Amino acid sequence: MAGGRPIARSSRETAPWAANIRRRPRTDWRILLLLSPALFLVLALFIYPLFYGLRLSLSPDAGGLFTNYTDFFGDARERATIGNTLRLALPATLINLALAIPLAYRMRRQIRGQRLITGLFVIPMTLGTVLLAQGMLSFFGPRGWFNKTLLFLGISDDPIRLVHNATGVVISLTIAEFPVVFLLLLGFVSGIDPNLERAAQMLGANAWQRFRRIILPLMIPGIATAFALSFVATFAVLPSAVMLGQPAGDTRVIALAAWQAAYERFDYSAGAAIAIIMAGIELLVLVIVIGGQSRLYRGPATGGKG
Amino acid sequence: MNAQAQISGQESSTLEAATERAIPRIERLRIRGLTKRFGEMTALQNFDLDVEGGEFISLLGPSGCGKTTALNCLAGLLEPDAGEIELDGKSVVRTPPERRRFGMVFQNYALFPHLTVGRNVAFGLEMQRLPKAQVRERVDRVLALVRLQEQRDKHPAQLSGGQQQRIAIARAIVTEPRLLLMDEPLSNLDAKLRQEMRTEIRRIHQALGLTTIYVTHDQEEALSLSDRIVLMRHGVIRQVGTPREVYIEPASAYAANFLGARNLLPVRIAAVAEDVQVETRSGIVLRGTPRGSFSAGDEAIASIRPEDVALLAHGDGGDNTFPGAVVTVEFLGRGIEVSVRSGLAEEVVARTDDLWRQGDSVALRFPPERLLVFPAEDPGEMV
Repeated sequence: MAGGRPIARSSRETAPWAANIRRRPRTDWRILLLLSPALFLVLALFIYPLFYGLRLSLSPDAGGLFTNYTDFFGDARERATIGNTLRLALPATLINLALAIPLAYRMRRQIRGQRLITGLFVIPMTLGTVLLAQGMLSFFGPRGWFNKTLLFLGISDDPIRLVHNATGVVISLTIAEFPVVFLLLLGFVSGIDPNLERAAQMLGANAWQRFRRIILPLMIPGIATAFALSFVATFAVLPSAVMLGQPAGDTRVIALAAWQAAYERFDYSAGAAIAIIMAGIELLVLVIVIGGQSRLYRGPATGGKG
Repeated sequence: MNAQAQISGQESSTLEAATERAIPRIERLRIRGLTKRFGEMTALQNFDLDVEGGEFISLLGPSGCGKTTALNCLAGLLEPDAGEIELDGKSVVRTPPERRRFGMVFQNYALFPHLTVGRNVAFGLEMQRLPKAQVRERVDRVLALVRLQEQRDKHPAQLSGGQQQRIAIARAIVTEPRLLLMDEPLSNLDAKLRQEMRTEIRRIHQALGLTTIYVTHDQEEALSLSDRIVLMRHGVIRQVGTPREVYIEPASAYAANFLGARNLLPVRIAAVAEDVQVETRSGIVLRGTPRGSFSAGDEAIASIRPEDVALLAHGDGGDNTFPGAVVTVEFLGRGIEVSVRSGLAEEVVARTDDLWRQGDSVALRFPPERLLVFPAEDPGEMV
């Protein structure tokens, strides 16, 4: 804490006569020392494994430095795993955002039964993907309740195939990631000063205009974060793609390719290479999302001095 | 900044341009029996008020007196449990806020942080789907009125508190609202800026003549800005009148106290004649001016402003004069304020231009015409 004082003092010193001038705070390098424990953890748990994996991927059992990478991109079946994964991760993430944004907006202020509703939404998070997949297999399966009900009501004549294909995986990913997306957006939207909406209302904005012109723009940083978290989580999908999908075909995801390389073919180096490619794609998407968001609005959501 | 210093020729022509335009002014706002309860608590009870078009009305009272509740009911942001609000004979109680065409200035300004100053001000006009050229022209004009043309492309966070406040006002008045509602708009500003903005608000009101309801807990603000003051307490209107009336003729000990009569003495009526003789708790008998009808033995409250208390070096044995000693002295720039301990149970605050020091012995005199005697009302809650 001792290191924190100089900055606080210097900003107070400038305040009386330069309150309107935004000055860039001077960096106090001693404060950065306080980061060292965290930095050590990051180094030990993240940077080191990353470089270890990178090195491993660049030392194939046979061939040149980039053999693993050229093999992956040269093999149509391997290459297709990228598209397969994106076809699961993007819809699941977008569906979640589409559901969570209006829902979080509706629940931004305390309403009756708020805790119960929030609790219900959050339960999927506690289940774990395997239990969820197990449940879905029996519920959505050809002889599950879902199809039995449809048949009984005469809505469809044949059982609808909702498992053992991409749809099943997308459904399970949506359910599993929804709580994270919802809670994140709920926290974000309830942090927006309610007076902003009232001000817009007094200026003649109806409910839709208030949402579209005030709330949604202010939610963008939250939406970007939620998108990033959900996308990264779903892009790394493995269990539900195997249990609920067609792991030999449509839903052969990139994580499965890495797993098979490492633990079925025992080619750790190739497995590491696929993992690095996976990380690269995730990073690319994050850069696009974060970059796009900062081009839009990024700032306080309160307005004025509160 | 230099708000008063800069009234140049260009400035006054902007003012004229703003006033030229015929603002559709309401004739009359009529409020009857407005009541709002929150659970057990009645925040607003039977609020009746008639407002003429163009009037500046302050709702004055301490926090929790119902003034903000009344304002929010007027705005439509709160739904009253009972009561009627009529604008020129037409009820607006069932009209949602977005269709009332009222302007509102919030305590924390509530500027849209993601929009520039220009877009903030234009928001209400865009909602009315006015043509772009007209929006631009009216935004220009109102920004000139609040003297912030240069800040047009900045974001609210880049402005000072006073500038944000002026933008909030500009945003509320640019739509030419039928009624302008202001919720303690100056309470977030420091003392000097508050003075400046007070003048600014008065100036804008004089320029545009918008019918305004202004909520404040600051008696000075209410006195200096308003055509009429509505003094409230516990959700009930206690007195309505011009600043002069409320200040000089307070209707109750509460009103007197809230408008500056800081000395309140619980007393018992000793005798009633042309004026009234009261006996304080400590047995001192004083003469005062009755505000209400009394008979001997009644409990009452006597009040006097600090500036009306006379401090003498020596008692002259006259009426309403008794000895005391100076306990604390506060320097106020113009004059001082002293607390005097005397034969009374309560310390008396007096304001004077003379120099007194702590420990000085003095004689206190309460001029009988300035010592107002009111019927007792739960004195514990008075201050």
